[in-house]
Amino acid sequence: AAGMAAPTMEERKACWGARDEFWRCLDSHGDDAAQCEKLRRAFEARCPQQWVKHFDKRRDFLKYKKMLETEGYRPPEAAGKS
Amino acid sequence: LRRRVAVAGAVAGAVAAGWLYLRQQKERQQRSRRLRDLRALALGQGDFELRDVSGTPRRKADFLGRWVLLYFGFTHCPDVCPEELEKLSRAVQLLERDAALPPLQPLFVTVDPERDDAAALARYLRDFHPRFVGLTGTPEQVRAAAAAFRVYVSAGPRDADGDYVVDHSVLTFLVDPDGLLRDYYSRSRTAEEMAQSVRGHMDTYEPLPP
Repeated sequence: AAGMAAPTMEERKACWGARDEFWRCLDSHGDDAAQCEKLRRAFEARCPQQWVKHFDKRRDFLKYKKMLETEGYRPPEAAGKS
Repeated sequence: LRRRVAVAGAVAGAVAAGWLYLRQQKERQQRSRRLRDLRALALGQGDFELRDVSGTPRRKADFLGRWVLLYFGFTHCPDVCPEELEKLSRAVQLLERDAALPPLQPLFVTVDPERDDAAALARYLRDFHPRFVGLTGTPEQVRAAAAAFRVYVSAGPRDADGDYVVDHSVLTFLVDPDGLLRDYYSRSRTAEEMAQSVRGHMDTYEPLPP
């Protein structure tokens, strides 16, 4: 079993706050992560690595969902006709 | 002629009465058969054998007589579990405002027994409703409890620090005082909606006769 104790409520909120700041930066820079290096590092410092991975996946999913809502579902190009 | 009509009417009335009586009997038998089935279902389904934070063994039977709102999660959960537990706590609080309603028991069962021992659960649940009961156990006991509620559990790969997340169904279950599953709530339900639904179940609840 891992030796680390689970994050407390305060630690969770600090992590979520750092994540939200990072995401807000991404939102205002068209997802250009290079513009948000400092906040990315703060986010990684405040959150367990497993949570960083989880939130990165969450962000990708939310972006995908948004794309579906705004652009609509585009099925992958089929080689032949329907 | 009038007498014949009267006699025919009386016979028809008697036949109708007899038919209604028989139908009533049939319904009564069906009801009692259903109650017997429900009682057997309540005893068999969703049972668990776990331990609370004081180390006391707890089974579903220990919660009979009370309404229960049950959530499966783990303390290393990034965001979903705190959100759902917050919602669950709030729903319980909303219902507590009505003194006429029976008490609702919030229950948390870990899907990560390796890390979530009694101390970890106690620490975690401090941030939520004060009456929250946390349950843990051996991996086998936890696996059985999750299976009893058809909850999907899958621990992810460990990283360099030995940390991992557990993928699991996100559901809050409502169990009635007879131990029967009455409803379940997904992430999309708000605390208010949950409280409303629970109240509806409480209002229409009829205890199973012994």
